[in-house]
Amino acid sequence: MNLQKLETGNASFDHISHGGLPIGRTTLVAGSSGSAKTLFGAQFLALGIQLFDQPGVFVTFEEQVDDIRKHLRSFHWDIDTWEKEGKWIFVDAAPKEEIIIAVGDFDLSAFRIRLERAVMKCNAQRVVIDSIGSIFTQFHEETHTIRRELIQVALTLSRLNATSIITAERLEEYGNITRFGVEEFLTDNVVILRNVLHNEKRRRTIEILKFRGSDHEKGENPFTINAEKAIVIIPLSAMILKHTSSIERVTSGIPALDEMIDGGFYKGSINLVSGAIGAGKTLLVANFINGIREKKERCLLMAFEESSAQLYRNATGWGIDFKQLEDEGLLKVICVYPEISSLEDHFINIQEIVKTFKPDRIAIDSLSALSRASSDKGFREFIIAFTAYLKHQEITGLFTSNTPLLAGGTSDTEGNISPITDTIILLRYVEMSGEMQRSIAVLKMRGSKHDSAIRKFTISDKGANIGKHFEGISGILTGNPMLIKLE
Amino acid sequence: MSMHVFQLFINGHSLNSIEAVDTLLKICRENLNGNYQLEIVDIQKDPDKAEEAGIIAIPTLIRMEPAPVNRIIGALNVRSRVLAGLGISSMHK
Repeated sequence: MNLQKLETGNASFDHISHGGLPIGRTTLVAGSSGSAKTLFGAQFLALGIQLFDQPGVFVTFEEQVDDIRKHLRSFHWDIDTWEKEGKWIFVDAAPKEEIIIAVGDFDLSAFRIRLERAVMKCNAQRVVIDSIGSIFTQFHEETHTIRRELIQVALTLSRLNATSIITAERLEEYGNITRFGVEEFLTDNVVILRNVLHNEKRRRTIEILKFRGSDHEKGENPFTINAEKAIVIIPLSAMILKHTSSIERVTSGIPALDEMIDGGFYKGSINLVSGAIGAGKTLLVANFINGIREKKERCLLMAFEESSAQLYRNATGWGIDFKQLEDEGLLKVICVYPEISSLEDHFINIQEIVKTFKPDRIAIDSLSALSRASSDKGFREFIIAFTAYLKHQEITGLFTSNTPLLAGGTSDTEGNISPITDTIILLRYVEMSGEMQRSIAVLKMRGSKHDSAIRKFTISDKGANIGKHFEGISGILTGNPMLIKLE
Repeated sequence: MSMHVFQLFINGHSLNSIEAVDTLLKICRENLNGNYQLEIVDIQKDPDKAEEAGIIAIPTLIRMEPAPVNRIIGALNVRSRVLAGLGISSMHK
């Protein structure tokens, strides 16, 4: 049996929850402080009004109503109009300035009556109670009474038949579900929001712990808070490895390289160029971009290391005119520092650009720079989500990655992404007879034969030049080239 | 002796409500010498007032005057604590 769900309107949440929140039921949203519980609830109500014309009631036990209004306005939610039109009703149960003492037994019937009245008044289909833990703090000496009374509140909610969210605090990211054990009586549906600090970086995730009688995606999915769309989840666990594989080839922009890879990259494939500093990675990117001329494709370049002025100048030095491509509307260059936002935000940002610009190709220079913006785990997840997204859109990608050693060696970035790339091209320095020579080799190419030679690679003012293979030399990839006497 | 102004929020004839009303009336009679105003609000009949005052718990007693305003929740069944909470010393007797 699968229970019915109410579409929240947050497409990414509806995706991982297989349709939204259990309809007519209460879902506990638990999270440490600063994990965006209030925003999650507020977004649920706001989208209900915006997209489905479903009125909502917001109960606040913690923040003052005016502060919440301000917060809502910052996301361009028109709370003032909604309140005027009676689509959004606040029930103010936030702590007052006055001192409260308790003498004798009490109940929360006043709160229940107020809640019920508000729900009736606007015919609310959505209710948010934020946050249940604060009521324990407000009446800290009476936790037994509060527990007993919260069971009554839960019963009232289920009688009212509104789809509701109750938020609750937790003290640790991995531990008890909530601080006051409210999950003991609000057990059917639990969602956990996390905000984990790891290696000086914050990583937000959402996990649907359970939806009784219904299926949903398992495990943590990263999310971000976007100024336009509030909470946006990157649905890792809900990704499907089911993209079409094209046999169509697209040019790398360098005829000799196309020859090495048997006619070009596959359309919609993910390709990686690995090399040390100055080995010619950006040159390969420039040629990959230049390759769009032939068939009037469109390319998006995300540059995380250089400014656009620098890029244009360098490209001109290799005889490639970015400016002209841009004027024709075929090229879009975005130069940003990776550190300006989280990886999740970069991901969403790229998605937005792809939606409007509709590129056939994407170049990222470099992935290593981008990996600075996140923890290892976050980066791996980003790469998986991002490549799946590109393949889904049938966009051909070229990424670059820096190796720390001048000769030989690999990088951490590569370790993370090489399993999901279709082609890996190595650019390596070869120290021979007191000279730094460059080399190029194709390490792997999925679904195609490729040249196995390590070839000479030179850069001139005409661009890249691929020559003969290093005959009689071994040990290039380990960084210790040796001349082998040929008979 | 200064004027005391109270608002007591109750819920119909619930046990706690009856007890709170009884205790408070007794205190007023015995300790305040007629110097008080007491408004009893039944939230079943007058929910708007409960909304306005942001009442959550029943019973809730609000001492509006003398300042500062304070609130006591519960059945008020420990007389000495209620007196202390309201700032009425037994000297007033």
